[in-house]
Amino acid sequence: MEKTISVTVNGRVQRKTVPIRMLLVDFLRDELGLTGTHVGCTYEGRCGACTVVLDGNATKSCMVLAVQADGHRVVTVEGLEEFANAPGELHPIQNGFWERHGLQCGYCTPGMMMTIFDILATNVREGSPELTDEAIRQSLVGNICRCTGYSHIVEAVQSAAAQLRGMDPEERAAWFDTAKLEGTRS
Amino acid sequence: MTTINAESEALAVSWVGRPIKRKEDLRLIRGRGQYLADIKLPGMVHAFFVRSKHAHARLKSVDVSRALSVPGVVAAYSGADLLKLGMRELLIPELVNELPGTLRLPPSWPLAVDKVVFHGEPIAVILAETKYVLEDAAELVVIDYEPLPVITSVEQAMADDSPRVYESWPDNVIYREKMGGDATDAFAKADIIITERFEVPRTGASPMECRGVLTQWDDHSGLTHWTTTQRPHLLRQAISQVLDWPEQMVRVIAPKDQGGSFGTKAPHSREDFILALVARDIMRPVRWVESREESFRAGVGQERAQIHEIQIAARSDGKILALRDRCITDIGHGQQPVFMGVMYPRAGCFMITSFYDIPQAEIEIVCVVTNKPCLTPSRAFGSFPVRLAMDGAINRLARELDLDPLEVVRKNLVTVFPYVTATGNFLDSGDFVGGFDKLVETIDVASVRELQAKLREQGRFIGLGFGGETERSGVSSKAYVPRQRKPGYGVATVKVLNSGKIHVLVGDPPSGQSHETVISQVLADEFGVTPDDVRLDYGDTLSTPYGMGNVGNRMASYTVSAAVLAARELKKKIGLVAAHDLGIDASPDEFTFENGEIVWVKDREIRTQLRAVAVHLIECPIQLPQGTEPGLEHTAYFEPQNVPNMTGASFHCAVVEVMPETGVIKILRYVVVDDCGTPINPLVVEGQVQGGVVMGIGNTVFEEYVYNERGELQNTTLEGYMMPCAADVPHVETYDHSVPTPNNPLGTKGKGEGAPAPVSGALVNAVEDALRPFGVSITTLPLKPERVRAAIAAVVSPEAEAEPADWVEPIVREFAGEGEGYDVLAEMYRFYDGIQISLQPTWHPYVGQIRGWLRDFGQMLDRAAASPAVVDVLAQMFNGEREFAFQSDLDPGLAAQWDRLRNLPRPDGGHAYLDYILPALDSHEMLLVACSNVPFEGETK
Ligand code: FES
Ligand code: FES
Repeated sequence: MEKTISVTVNGRVQRKTVPIRMLLVDFLRDELGLTGTHVGCTYEGRCGACTVVLDGNATKSCMVLAVQADGHRVVTVEGLEEFANAPGELHPIQNGFWERHGLQCGYCTPGMMMTIFDILATNVREGSPELTDEAIRQSLVGNICRCTGYSHIVEAVQSAAAQLRGMDPEERAAWFDTAKLEGTRS
Repeated sequence: MTTINAESEALAVSWVGRPIKRKEDLRLIRGRGQYLADIKLPGMVHAFFVRSKHAHARLKSVDVSRALSVPGVVAAYSGADLLKLGMRELLIPELVNELPGTLRLPPSWPLAVDKVVFHGEPIAVILAETKYVLEDAAELVVIDYEPLPVITSVEQAMADDSPRVYESWPDNVIYREKMGGDATDAFAKADIIITERFEVPRTGASPMECRGVLTQWDDHSGLTHWTTTQRPHLLRQAISQVLDWPEQMVRVIAPKDQGGSFGTKAPHSREDFILALVARDIMRPVRWVESREESFRAGVGQERAQIHEIQIAARSDGKILALRDRCITDIGHGQQPVFMGVMYPRAGCFMITSFYDIPQAEIEIVCVVTNKPCLTPSRAFGSFPVRLAMDGAINRLARELDLDPLEVVRKNLVTVFPYVTATGNFLDSGDFVGGFDKLVETIDVASVRELQAKLREQGRFIGLGFGGETERSGVSSKAYVPRQRKPGYGVATVKVLNSGKIHVLVGDPPSGQSHETVISQVLADEFGVTPDDVRLDYGDTLSTPYGMGNVGNRMASYTVSAAVLAARELKKKIGLVAAHDLGIDASPDEFTFENGEIVWVKDREIRTQLRAVAVHLIECPIQLPQGTEPGLEHTAYFEPQNVPNMTGASFHCAVVEVMPETGVIKILRYVVVDDCGTPINPLVVEGQVQGGVVMGIGNTVFEEYVYNERGELQNTTLEGYMMPCAADVPHVETYDHSVPTPNNPLGTKGKGEGAPAPVSGALVNAVEDALRPFGVSITTLPLKPERVRAAIAAVVSPEAEAEPADWVEPIVREFAGEGEGYDVLAEMYRFYDGIQISLQPTWHPYVGQIRGWLRDFGQMLDRAAASPAVVDVLAQMFNGEREFAFQSDLDPGLAAQWDRLRNLPRPDGGHAYLDYILPALDSHEMLLVACSNVPFEGETK
């Protein structure tokens, strides 16, 4: 059975007819070619490599059917730099990972970054209070990395949070404003 | 092009030794990596393997015809079908190592023909237009099995009357070897002999990306075969040899990006051969992306399993005179080219004395086959269990002699280089005493001991443990050729382009080890350019030089050295042409390479552009110096000249707290001091060490592949296998105590392979040290709470081990088994329907997620059930006898939900406590909050 759905992905409306049993992760990867979202545990909901931001919340896209995303907004790793003001500029989260060697093979990284997008969006909404390393580790329990040992990932989050703290509040909020993203892609 | 670092503009700096940002990252953090599953070809079909549901059975018939009737299915093959296409056995002589012991060869059909020997062995392969129809079709393959007796343990396999995995064999022993010499003398002279038996279960290194293949045949190119591999050149050869296809008609390509490998992608997988055959048959590209469950069932990343019956003979001052070890390994089915499961215990035992000066070693290695998947290489290659045996035994020795274990370690360190160990391992360079002292100083042993004494008075138990190892930085041809008929050399092709940019080609593909960055730093220094000016390509047999694989710490030592040699060769030619073009009488080595220029050291005003010389040699090859050939590329091979290998070392120390009531271990500090020779990029080295240690912590504390008596893997999911997440592990502190090796151009040694190995010893020794007042001995892993508690109970009061409350067991059984009842799912659904899910408030759970939670739940209960204290708390909680304070950051909705549930009347029978417990699953924190009311820390007495 198939259904026509329309999902806003990285600010762009995507209308497709898909089998109703298709998972969101397959929709993103196979239908839209957004292969930055990865599959690590094969739809078990454990590894977090498939994490995307769905209506503002970090969500494991293997745990959601594509048809469930009909009418909703998804941001994937490919969308992160869309928040930037100039081409080539990276999202603070991306900068953090690059600066602090937060990735080795990079397989878990997109999912990690999208979970962190949610964490930092909340942090920014709350006025960017300091995050403890412990709190960061606790909030990453849904994402597994087999390469880094996590310390550099924690440092990457701290680095991103510090970059954001150095900005004025509007600028900070803009890095998480999905509406802005849509504004750039009519 | 994006600059790597602001500093890359800086002039005349050394790039080697600087923690620059990685070149590979920019594509990866933008979601633009190219992993195997990201590659598609027009007309591609998807493959699915139908795998055995029995661990040992004769195949009476395999009928794939009904699968073909499913719309979208393109083809389906049984083993018999593939025999017609030319399938041959994998263990051809070229793919079997020559070993000093006695080795038996099992039959080795890629796709099962008449018999299966492990649960998950591929029996049929189906090809379809979309992956969604494949599982439907797989259901329709009819397999008639005749089950045979299943062997799952060393004890069973070695029993006199044991059934045999391979009927024609006289017993189940696949390999036997005696290593080292005779230690009788030393044992006779010893003041003390320590005897211990350590048993390490199957754990290993499964990476986040599972395996995959994309392969196609066309009559011009032959086979073009993308596959997740660390050894594309050897796989090309193997495909050609096994399938009897001309080698020049096989091209193997490792994807640009691979999601980790850790050894698991070094073997030649049977799936590679099957898929090559079927792709050629249907003349369409075929892609297979392995699922996590398949990967686990195939044994990918399962290693470590070894039993060591170890003895050390020592003087009363702690000086070790000799060791004896009997290493017994259940290798699984053994049908694996090259490694065959026997290479890991061999390699581990070969390195057993590591940096200890132990003059004599007498080792027996016995490997048996069982009906489990064959062990596959995992980072540290055989050393993880060996380190536990060696460092654990030394810890026992110190205890028996009432000496400080650190003192005993120090007393036995090798101090003179080079050094050849009793097993024949060669240590070329190092400063073991210096590295060890730096560790002791960093950890501040005196203050740990002081704290330990103080806390013991309060009934708290902390302890400190040492582990360490030497590791080989690659292995030379001298060692490889006699065993594997494979070279050990590092090889690299370096080309200077017309533009003065540098292009490097190497055969061995990385999977996260930062090759692009590291090679670029090194060659930037050689050519006086920036890392941005250097490009690395790898892993395609069409364009790169033959390399023996990205394994065993080879990159920084062998491959980098080859690239340096190639660069220096080119620099000679450049110097010659530069002198000629500048019209000076200078020898080629009188130039330095700086900022894209070639500068004459005798008069720095005299200089020319690297680009200008390149153009002269490549594009405009007229008026070259007499006898100079045009072109500016060179392939160089590196082998260390006078030594069989180069040696890295690491020294680990863990400080842990153990809660005796619960058996829970908390790692308070983990410190590593490392010798990786000249570090090329310290940030990368640190990442390798931290990642390796955390893998070792996973292997030591959490992970275990559990098989039941039917040979079925019980934990086929990541959740069930329990790889650690960020909250499970400490920050790993890393320090450098590098001794550059004199045996290669830059003094570099590899770092990455060995890091997990010493963790087993460091943590076990730390736990024993913490529990010293109880006199506890730990001899097996993982260090799960129930095991630690059992070890304490065994010495303190065996009867004190409380039974879990009687309601726990049926629930655990329900959840741990494979067939979760529908009623349980329904029950969960009922609860979840009204509940907000913490990460996805607006989204209803999908059934797979519920399954995942069921597993979570089973495990949490498992853990909880294992601890009487936790059980007790849970029981009080259910009965409303205990108040729970919620952390302030806990979702208030959940807190309210919890309250509501707590006040529900207690249900009777069936899934008695589900009503109470299930909602706790809504958030892991919930149960953790509950459990954290157990007096874990500080208040244990
Ligand atoms: S693939 Fe979705 S959580 Fe692992
Ligand atoms: S970087 Fe490889 S899994 Fe995280």
